[in-house]
Amino acid sequence: FLAGFGSLMQDVLWCFSQVKGTIDTGVTESDIISTVEFNHTGELLATGDKGGRVVIFQREQESKNQPHRRGEYNVYSTFQSHEPEFDYLKSLEIEEKINKIRWLPQQNAAYFLLSTNDKTVKLWKVSERDKRPEGYNLKDEDGRLRDPSMITVLRVPVLRPMDLMVEATPRRVFANAHTYHINSISVNSDYETYMSADDLRINLWNFEITNQSFNIVDIKPANMEELTEVITAAEFHPHHCNTFVYSSSKGTIRLCDMRAAALCDRHAKFFEEPEDPSNRSFFSEIISSISDVKFSHSGRYIMTRDYLTVKVWDLNMENRPIETYQVHDYLRSKLCSLYENDCIFDKFECVWNGSDSVIMTGSYNNFFRMFDRNTKRDVTLEASRENSKPRAILKPRKVCVGGKRRKDEISVDSLDFSKKILHTAWHPSENIIAVAATNNLYIFQDKIN
Amino acid sequence: MLGRGLKRKLSDYEENMAGLSSAFDSSRSLPYPLKRQLVLNMCLTKLQTYKMLVEPNLHRSVLIANTVRQIQEEMRQESNQQPVNICPGIAPASHSYAGMESPGISLQLPSGVGQQESHCCDVRSVEDPIENSLLIVSDDDMSSAISSILKDLDFVEDISPPTCLVPAGDDQPKFPENTGLKLEDDRQDLKGAECVFGSFEISNSTSYLKDLAIDDIFEDIDTSMYDSDFCCPPLMPPRSPSLATEEPLKTFPSCNSSSANNIQICRTDLSELDHIMEILVGS
Repeated sequence: FLAGFGSLMQDVLWCFSQVKGTIDTGVTESDIISTVEFNHTGELLATGDKGGRVVIFQREQESKNQPHRRGEYNVYSTFQSHEPEFDYLKSLEIEEKINKIRWLPQQNAAYFLLSTNDKTVKLWKVSERDKRPEGYNLKDEDGRLRDPSMITVLRVPVLRPMDLMVEATPRRVFANAHTYHINSISVNSDYETYMSADDLRINLWNFEITNQSFNIVDIKPANMEELTEVITAAEFHPHHCNTFVYSSSKGTIRLCDMRAAALCDRHAKFFEEPEDPSNRSFFSEIISSISDVKFSHSGRYIMTRDYLTVKVWDLNMENRPIETYQVHDYLRSKLCSLYENDCIFDKFECVWNGSDSVIMTGSYNNFFRMFDRNTKRDVTLEASRENSKPRAILKPRKVCVGGKRRKDEISVDSLDFSKKILHTAWHPSENIIAVAATNNLYIFQDKIN
Repeated sequence: MLGRGLKRKLSDYEENMAGLSSAFDSSRSLPYPLKRQLVLNMCLTKLQTYKMLVEPNLHRSVLIANTVRQIQEEMRQESNQQPVNICPGIAPASHSYAGMESPGISLQLPSGVGQQESHCCDVRSVEDPIENSLLIVSDDDMSSAISSILKDLDFVEDISPPTCLVPAGDDQPKFPENTGLKLEDDRQDLKGAECVFGSFEISNSTSYLKDLAIDDIFEDIDTSMYDSDFCCPPLMPPRSPSLATEEPLKTFPSCNSSSANNIQICRTDLSELDHIMEILVGS
């Protein structure tokens, strides 16, 4: 379904498709969605939550009878990925919250994904079972052992169809390699290795080996009092298996080549934009901290998200981004309040669409923003139950900064900062997006003409 | 939005701070030094709060510490340029950088939150609620606040010399073992020749030990002899008998109960110890 794909912003009208989650006004903390990710074909959509659960949705086959229902996503599998743990040595509770999910490309009938909390990465296999063997000799249909002396006939068990069962089994557990909290995982394009990054270190794993990991980045100073910078996100290049990037709390991105040295302390490229002196404030450094970094599908660009902007960088130009988009610049005059209530530390993610022509990121008040890189147009949309009539077209929203507030605008002071959209995902080839609003997952699609 | 272990109660102080920060944002007439002081106080309060948590957030702590350092540097440069305005009545040990034209600041912060209460001179601008809520903090206090929070974040790590642990058999690492792994500076003098894999962290897959109270296992063992800086046992030949017998013992790694890996090291060392004792005693 590529018609309309990669089209200009003005041609795309986003419609509500589905919403998952309860409508209750009180939110159970464990239901808060903490990560959202489509798989490589877009057939599956996975979410992780603060309670350590993973829910996978599968897109139903499109049917000719209901052409307007363009493949809705239904629950495919639910499992408990991580449990809360207690580290006795340090007297610390390890949260079960799923920080990230990353899919492996499909190589056989089963699906594989990595899920991680603060300390432990797990490889999960999700497979279907729709047949079961019947007619065992030594046990009956209930599984009870039969009395051997009563068996007079030998038979061959046969496979009979059964109701589809989807099983999730943990195939590998990669533990005890991170002293600090894991913020990113990224599967390498060689499909044999992946990396996990915490505040100070990045480790390289082989999928087959769980009791060893290779430390490839270490920025921990000899004396912790000298620490001024932490790693905030990391990702492998989509095609070059030796290349990866990691971002820092100082707003810089380092590109590393694993062929150069075993320990990638020396970067191959260093991306940093000089500070704009007119925007300088006490909070300049805090808002420059990068919360997410993503390679474009083409591998030619990287996108970074800091508190107020999204930036696109060309890998060949290190001294400044090629594009900067203001997500919610009206917050610049509210930084002290946002610092006081800790909102300034919120970590927003950002995503590319399949053709790298549009980028999307979240904001407050359940708003999310899209920027068309070609036309330079942008739009603000809202994920809310009020806009959730089937196939209802989403109306663009606008925040009024000062002066007269128009009828449909909302003023900055009325924004609800507890409703933040931190996690979004874009289907790899179609205009379908998944937006996590606290404990609800919204799925929007572009309008079918 | 404070972390675990700290219940957030709405107190007068917090209401005050919320009011102050919106005053910061909305007021253009607030003098710069006052704004700076306000931000500084907020930073130090946050660091103080994080210190009380079992596991402070490293990312946030670093960002806040950097902000404090930046303000600190600015204030230092200013004080170098102009005489310091010290109010009488402040304890002589602390240097208070008032750095503002307005006379006297008094403190209204509840105890347990503020770092230090310094009672200023008699002239107070009681009418100005913003000024009345600010805390004068010394340069030393700022530095020590940053240092202490960052030091606390330096977790003791479960790193053991991998040469003692690489399992024989099929589970061999697929990566080349000697491709320029970096030795951390603070361990360079501690590692013996065998410990090449400075950055190669081995994880302990024997999870069955996780549930045991490790301290109980080692209750009977007197580990005072194993208090050594070496983490890897260099297999040295026994020294001349004239030396005290304690000395060879000190070359063995510290047998602290930090992981199952060290349990194996200790057992190895005890048998080596026996061997050396036999040689020394000549039996």
